[in-house]
Amino acid sequence: MAKDPVSRKSELLPGTLEMLILKSLERNSEPMHGYGIALYIKQISREVLRVEEGSLYPALQRLALKGLVHGEWRESDTGRRARYYKLTRAGRKQLMEEVASFEKLLEAILRVVQPA
Amino acid sequence: MKGLAELWRRLTHLRWRPEFSQELTEEIEHHLALKTEENIRAGLSENEARYAAQRDFGNMTLLKEDSRGIWSFPWIEELLEDVRYGLRMLRKSPGFTAVAVITLALGIGANAAIFTVMNGLMLHTLPVRDPGQLVELLHHYPDEPEPGFNGFSWDAYQTIHDGNHVFSDLIVAGMNFFPVSGDKLQPETVFGGGVGGTFFQALGVRPAAGRLIGPEDVHMGYHDPVAVVSWSFWKSRFDLDPGVIGKKIVIGDDPVTIVGVAQRGFYGLNYEARQDIWWPISLGPSAGWGFGLLARLKPGVSLEQARAEMAVVFQTVVNAPDAGPFVHRMNLRIVPAGTGVTTPLSQMLSTPLTVLMATVGLLLLLACANLAGLLLARGASRQHEMAVRACLGAPRSRLLRQTLTESLLLSLIGCAVGIFVAYFAAHALVRVFASGRFILGAPVHFESLTNPDARVLLFTLAIALLTGLLCGATPAVSASKTEPASALQQVSRIGESQSRRLFGKSLVASQVALSLVLMSSAALFLEYLSHLRNLNLGFERHNLLLVTLDFAHSGYNAAQFSQLSQELVTRLDAIPGVSSATFSAVSPMEGPGAASFAFAEDHPEKRTQASVNYVAQAYFETYGTSFLAGRDFSARDQDGSPVAIINETTARDCFGDENPIGRHITLSHITLTKGEKTFEVIGVVGDAKYNDLQQAAPPTIYADLQQGYTGSEHSQLAIRTRIDPDGVAGAVRQIEAAVLKTVPIVRIMTMSEQIDSSIVPQRLIAMLSAGFGALGALLAAIGLYGLLAYTVAGRTHEIGVRMALGAARTDVMRIVLRDALWMVCAGFAIGAPLAFWGKRVAASLVPDLPVASPLPIVVAAAIMIAVGLIAAYLPARRAMRVDPMIALRYE
Repeated sequence: MAKDPVSRKSELLPGTLEMLILKSLERNSEPMHGYGIALYIKQISREVLRVEEGSLYPALQRLALKGLVHGEWRESDTGRRARYYKLTRAGRKQLMEEVASFEKLLEAILRVVQPA
Repeated sequence: MKGLAELWRRLTHLRWRPEFSQELTEEIEHHLALKTEENIRAGLSENEARYAAQRDFGNMTLLKEDSRGIWSFPWIEELLEDVRYGLRMLRKSPGFTAVAVITLALGIGANAAIFTVMNGLMLHTLPVRDPGQLVELLHHYPDEPEPGFNGFSWDAYQTIHDGNHVFSDLIVAGMNFFPVSGDKLQPETVFGGGVGGTFFQALGVRPAAGRLIGPEDVHMGYHDPVAVVSWSFWKSRFDLDPGVIGKKIVIGDDPVTIVGVAQRGFYGLNYEARQDIWWPISLGPSAGWGFGLLARLKPGVSLEQARAEMAVVFQTVVNAPDAGPFVHRMNLRIVPAGTGVTTPLSQMLSTPLTVLMATVGLLLLLACANLAGLLLARGASRQHEMAVRACLGAPRSRLLRQTLTESLLLSLIGCAVGIFVAYFAAHALVRVFASGRFILGAPVHFESLTNPDARVLLFTLAIALLTGLLCGATPAVSASKTEPASALQQVSRIGESQSRRLFGKSLVASQVALSLVLMSSAALFLEYLSHLRNLNLGFERHNLLLVTLDFAHSGYNAAQFSQLSQELVTRLDAIPGVSSATFSAVSPMEGPGAASFAFAEDHPEKRTQASVNYVAQAYFETYGTSFLAGRDFSARDQDGSPVAIINETTARDCFGDENPIGRHITLSHITLTKGEKTFEVIGVVGDAKYNDLQQAAPPTIYADLQQGYTGSEHSQLAIRTRIDPDGVAGAVRQIEAAVLKTVPIVRIMTMSEQIDSSIVPQRLIAMLSAGFGALGALLAAIGLYGLLAYTVAGRTHEIGVRMALGAARTDVMRIVLRDALWMVCAGFAIGAPLAFWGKRVAASLVPDLPVASPLPIVVAAAIMIAVGLIAAYLPARRAMRVDPMIALRYE
């Protein structure tokens, strides 16, 4: 799993991956499967944020353990069986809190790096 | 709340755990398939597309493991892993495991055993309302050992009841064994007693059925008497039948009606002397020992206030006009009684148990040091393994946990075995207690002393865990500090750091120190015991058989008694091997005889307090007490005026320097006759001890058994033999049964046994501490041997070099022995002050201990040096036999 240093884009801050997953699920009203989430994050961040795709799955399990997402097996459009995740109510609440605190953090960082 | 929900999801996850891996794989496969498709669309070949998808995905195995790990209980799984691994390691070295487990089992078992008995005897709080407010009243003489005796006359109870302002309740009860029978009951002897009207109410005991005894029952007296039984009695004898209320049973000779059952779990006033039946105290048959008193302090009244007031009230009691001869010297003691009233057993054992508990605590500490040493040496030989594990990425905490798990496993296995050891040890211990003088026939519920309850098990588990942590901590820390690189480089030699070697040595030194303390205290107690056994008692203790007879239902009058007892003695004298036989009311070391005031007829002001014994002819000859003046009783005295023989102390107290022979001595207030009686002194004999080995013999007056004595409940037959006294016991039994047909034998024992039964606690402490001392020395020897053997193995190379450079074999041996002696001496340096301090503590607990004697510590030190040399011998020999060529080539 040697990473190619050249192709490395922005590393995620720790804990951000979970927030991104929650956000993706919130934006899409339909439940999504893992690949869909990865794709979505990539597109929405205009390929700046690059998720190591595999790490999506332990993160999804962590969220499921905390009861923030709920997974369900279902037929996909292409006729394959896939696990689709959707946000739970607790997940929605958690996302709001995390986004709020993330914005605060970001604001603080911006204040430091861009002095008025 | 959040944690709970998470735990719940984890637990439900367990159910579909087998499917989890498969589902995850399927999910990942799906992902890869989509990605591959996308890559193909982007123009890659199928193989390349698949490869790229996998590369982007990352380490699939690791990610799967991570995903699985999220749902698991990581610490439990790691723990199980550690336990499995630990067990495997223990199995791999059975010798080490056996030594460690046995060491721990003995250490933990000894602690658990002593604690079991202590728990039963001293720690059980009475199951009553506010037991902390309860106090017990005890009287004792200033020269008697504490705590004293809880038995008062009815008048004393009345005086205390009416005169105090500090007790909210004064609870009176007279406890004893009583024969109980009834239509559905097997006749049996039950421990119970008469209780005052406020007994149950003051203790806050409620009925499980029917009602309990109240004040009105006591006022009723003999009219329509009632009784209350315990819940366990109700269950075992009546099968919890509600119809028990109203049933008639017979207690002693009195028919009573059962009116109620006391609440479940109530066993009276003492955990180890459980009561099963109670009736109004006015009904009569109560203990011959008087009435037991228990009181509840008024709220806000301190123990000191109660003591102060009761000291005054008690003066009225002891100065009553009809009080007996010794009574005015009595003091009253008030002690907390939340754990029950004092019994002969608790009185006898509290101090020995405290001493023993301290001793076994030291023993366990020693076992810990021993095991820590063994684990440390083992840890050193496993450095390579630890290094490999550290190299493979095991964090320090994990290595630490692994090593600790192993020592905890050892201590838990030791604990399990120790519980068995404790069970049998507690039984053995209680059997020894049961042979004590005042314990024979006392109401002791032995099961409650030997059955481990939850508290005992918890205690045992706690000390086991503590032991595991204590002996595992240092080896674990040292293992976790393994530097992978350096340890791997040194694989060929057992690497050990300077600090670790020093620590190992100090462990051995501390074992030597602890065993020095154990052994010197053992030697101290043994010296004390031998001192007790060799005291001059005023009679010849060997080859003397004592037979206790029960005359209570003999039906003999004075003439019959006199004739039959003389016939018995004559026939006993004829048994081969018997040199003489005699009768008496009490025998030496059986306990004090009847008490009386005594004064010379013309000096009533020089009144002394004397014990009175009734003895037959040849009493002094049989016991081997010498006549200082005058003569023995003879057949002529039988119908003449009363005669007496006095001991030396009486002669000195009553007659001073004058010759007492032919003078008269008056006994007033003889307990048996209550009146006064004057005797002519016909002889003076040496002092003999009756009650306590250490106390000086009291003034004693011997009256003639043939002058109107009909035998009290129990009388003593003594037989002096020329052979082993047990050898004539059979013949004695036969003759006694033939001559005294209505008099059963209560027990037969030798005088040595009777003396031993009066010093059970001292014997127990001496024997057990000797055993623990020996065990301690053995452990220290194992520790020393282990360390030296391991050091010698580690120094093979060095020894080889020394020999190659010309060191003689004896020099090599000297190096090892010097090492051993150095550790032993370091142990002495720590142990000697500890031993001296321990001696002072022991002296404060056990009076008359010969603490001044330097012998114990010297003996202990000599033994430790010998033990150290023996333990060092094998490693030293091994070192001597090192072949320099082989040792050097080995590198």
